[in-house]
Amino acid sequence: MPDDGGNLSIDFLAGMTLFMIALIWVATMIPGLLIGLQSRSIDYDAVAYRTGVILVEDPGMPANPPWEIKDDLQKDEIERFGLTISKETPNILKISKVERFFCSTSFSYPDDYRQRVIFGDRPYQFNISLTTFDGMVNDSVGDIKPDGYGYIRRVVKMKYPSNATIQDPNIRNSGPSANVTTHIFSLNINCTNLIGDEINPAYQINPLRDQILVNITNLSKARVFTNLITGDLLYNPCSLDSIKIYRQNPSQPLVQVRTVDDAYIDGGSNLSAIPPVPPGPIVNDTVSIIFPAGFFYGMANDNTQLYINYTFTLTQKDNFFNNSFTSPYPYNYDPNKVTQPKLKEGVLEVAIW
Amino acid sequence: MVNYDGQLYTIEGVAAGLIMLLTAFIVVGTTSVYTPGDTHITDMQLEQMGSDALHMMNTPNTSAASAESALQSMIKNNEKDRFGETFLSFCDTTAGGTTDTLQFSADIYYHKSNPMPEGSVYKVNFTESRHLTGGEHAVRVTEWVQVDNSVGGVLLPASPPLDTRVQAVLVEVLVWRD
Repeated sequence: MPDDGGNLSIDFLAGMTLFMIALIWVATMIPGLLIGLQSRSIDYDAVAYRTGVILVEDPGMPANPPWEIKDDLQKDEIERFGLTISKETPNILKISKVERFFCSTSFSYPDDYRQRVIFGDRPYQFNISLTTFDGMVNDSVGDIKPDGYGYIRRVVKMKYPSNATIQDPNIRNSGPSANVTTHIFSLNINCTNLIGDEINPAYQINPLRDQILVNITNLSKARVFTNLITGDLLYNPCSLDSIKIYRQNPSQPLVQVRTVDDAYIDGGSNLSAIPPVPPGPIVNDTVSIIFPAGFFYGMANDNTQLYINYTFTLTQKDNFFNNSFTSPYPYNYDPNKVTQPKLKEGVLEVAIW
Repeated sequence: MVNYDGQLYTIEGVAAGLIMLLTAFIVVGTTSVYTPGDTHITDMQLEQMGSDALHMMNTPNTSAASAESALQSMIKNNEKDRFGETFLSFCDTTAGGTTDTLQFSADIYYHKSNPMPEGSVYKVNFTESRHLTGGEHAVRVTEWVQVDNSVGGVLLPASPPLDTRVQAVLVEVLVWRD
């Protein structure tokens, strides 16, 4: 015989419903109460994002003089790494900052990086990688990434610095007054024009902050002369006796500020010393000098004219690489004279765990 | 003969079942802290990448006065394939050598003042790597691009031509991951 033992009363149903609603409400509140503990993966992504912003949108601290020109003895003065040229040019990275940042002999992993770019109380592990699409840059610092990590990827452009390749036939001087043994070739770096004519830091040639490379080539052609008796072509031996840097600030006289003590001669990979007393090293065809970023920082300002004077000595009198009778070779924004700065694409990735 | 063997006679069984479900709910809820902010982390990463890619495509590589950005050139010359290849190469390339698997759909918005009706804004699908079906979880990134059509000739796909003037068009890209 059926009974009503399993039936529910309305009162019980109402009470049970209220109880269940209250229980579900409390249960859904619990995760919120634990939010302070946070999930590590959330934290990792946030730290990776912050690190990416610091690297890609900030020039670092100190900014003036820039941190990348601080040598290893001064690295304690570096408060924050940042790879962009300026705050106005996010995602445009400066190659001298990049090279310095990834220099394993200057900065040790992980402490130097944690203090200056990762930050945070927790000792995060990280990996920061930068690759350009043309393969010219492929740098990385940090550990091998585990399976789970927070990350951010930023598309960037690298600013490659300007350089000048000066070829002899364009500069070779003629005339009786140039038929001498000592020849001076002068290069002019006009800071006023370089900084004033191009205001966008992404394309600017800034001698105070950027690397400048000067490559003089084809000198062998300038050393050729004809033996008047035999008609044979002879090569006039040539030495590079000095490279001197002169400075002229507005309403001040021209003064020598320093000498360059070495240069790359004839395509060699090692620097050749230029002694203070002549003769200097023998030059057959090329002389290259790389002025690293910040080289001129202490000796010039935004209104300085810099002159770099090369002194060559020939064994026999001859016309040679010499512009002392005309005007200094200008390092400027003329693409026929100077290869202009160029941007190239790459990707920077920050992984945190 | 009908009997009651398979039926639930009392509320205890129902209540026990509900309590078990609730317990599971609470356990899952407390161990996986999934706040609304979490859902935006993946979105943020995609959005940042897409935004960077468009911005870099719209940055010329040299300062020459005649230098126009790759993005300007693509729109001006209706280079849809080049846009797709460049955008995906920017977004898919990782520093570790592997590649991501992103898809995109790019639209262009532009204002047309001539002919009438004056002030009309047109939208045209520029190109896409795959047709958007609606099920994808896509993020939107945009970039204003200055297009020089002062001498005419700029043709966008299947749309009224741009006015013959220099004009800013909005490139909007929906990005999603497979």
